[in-house]
Amino acid sequence: MTALDAPFAEPPAETAVPRAPGDLSPKQLLARMIRVDHAGEYGAARIYAGQIAVLGHTDKGPILQHMKDQEQVHLDTFSDLVAERGVRPTALLPFWHVAGFVLGAGTALMGSRAAMACTVAIEEVIDEHYAEQASALGEDEKPLRDTIEKFRAEEIEHRDIGLAHEAEKAPGYRILTTLIKAGCKVAIRLSERV
Amino acid sequence: MAEIERSPERDAAVTATLPHVPLDGWTRRALKAGLKDAGMDPRDLDLLFPGGPVEAIEVWCDLADRQMAEDLAREELAGMKLRARVARAVMGRLDRLRGNKEAVGRALALLALPQNAPIAARTAFRTVDTIWRAVGDRSSDFSWYTKRASLGAVYGATLLYWLNDDSEDDARTAEFLDRRIEGLMVIPKARARLKEAAARLPDPFGLIRRLRPAG
Repeated sequence: MTALDAPFAEPPAETAVPRAPGDLSPKQLLARMIRVDHAGEYGAARIYAGQIAVLGHTDKGPILQHMKDQEQVHLDTFSDLVAERGVRPTALLPFWHVAGFVLGAGTALMGSRAAMACTVAIEEVIDEHYAEQASALGEDEKPLRDTIEKFRAEEIEHRDIGLAHEAEKAPGYRILTTLIKAGCKVAIRLSERV
Repeated sequence: MAEIERSPERDAAVTATLPHVPLDGWTRRALKAGLKDAGMDPRDLDLLFPGGPVEAIEVWCDLADRQMAEDLAREELAGMKLRARVARAVMGRLDRLRGNKEAVGRALALLALPQNAPIAARTAFRTVDTIWRAVGDRSSDFSWYTKRASLGAVYGATLLYWLNDDSEDDARTAEFLDRRIEGLMVIPKARARLKEAAARLPDPFGLIRRLRPAG
């Protein structure tokens, strides 16, 4: 069951309450969320930059630029949150800087369909990830939850753009998306902590 | 970020302990005397500071950090250059320790012990982190780390210099700090030169652009 099909549940009144011994404090939980989201949007912007470096001159150029612009807005929002809330940004940023670009440029070199398949795979994982976060945030963090929900809607839009541009006709679509999704999930777990 | 328990009781207890440190050192004895002076029950020592004197030192450092940030918030910093703001913050942090040099020296001796290395790192980080936030730094990229690392080195050196500084109003420490910050300025200059040199190298992505598929 994907997060989209999950039954609608009321958000908790307060973030990280009730809390068992050993659970993260609300502050730690929020720090992790903002850290990983900041890292994710940073990586996303780099992936689109990599794709544009290869496909920018083709007919996919404008749509890629549109998605990159949206990711840049997301990144700026989370950068502000990092500064406002005193969150440590992930130490892996230089790595995501390179890895994101390589992933974007690499899939784009396989053709525009593979690039779109890469988008679909990533945005699907991010959709689930944001849904998970939004359901963990309580009424006390409503502004942040609304921001995440808004970004999630845009990530879903990106996925649909990818599907509309024949992502599923990419060579080795299943293998490619499975690999990218697995990599994405590892990246999320790493960026939460490191 | 390392979280620390903050309470008025802990702040009051550690502040009252400071006059006893030159005689008794950072010991349970000094802490008990401090608790008594602050009007608290000396038997609450283990409740307030389960980690003993080392934890009391951590609370003191955190208290000085917060006071420094409050002092700085009252000042007009907007017109100052970043390096002047940072220097102001470091000197402000030292101002908060003035009159307790002996206690600082003894605290450093205790924090230098290997078993206290994690706490020493935590307090040092908290101090530089508070300074960067107090001067209005909003970095969210990797410079977040480099800024804290370089200021950590500068702050550590300045603190040690300050311990032996007997000049009026720590004037010599302020000069020492200026020289250390001057030393840091070499880094951006060298980076600008590197960038200039890199601009003259061939662009590796030009090759990729030529490889890209048509259509």
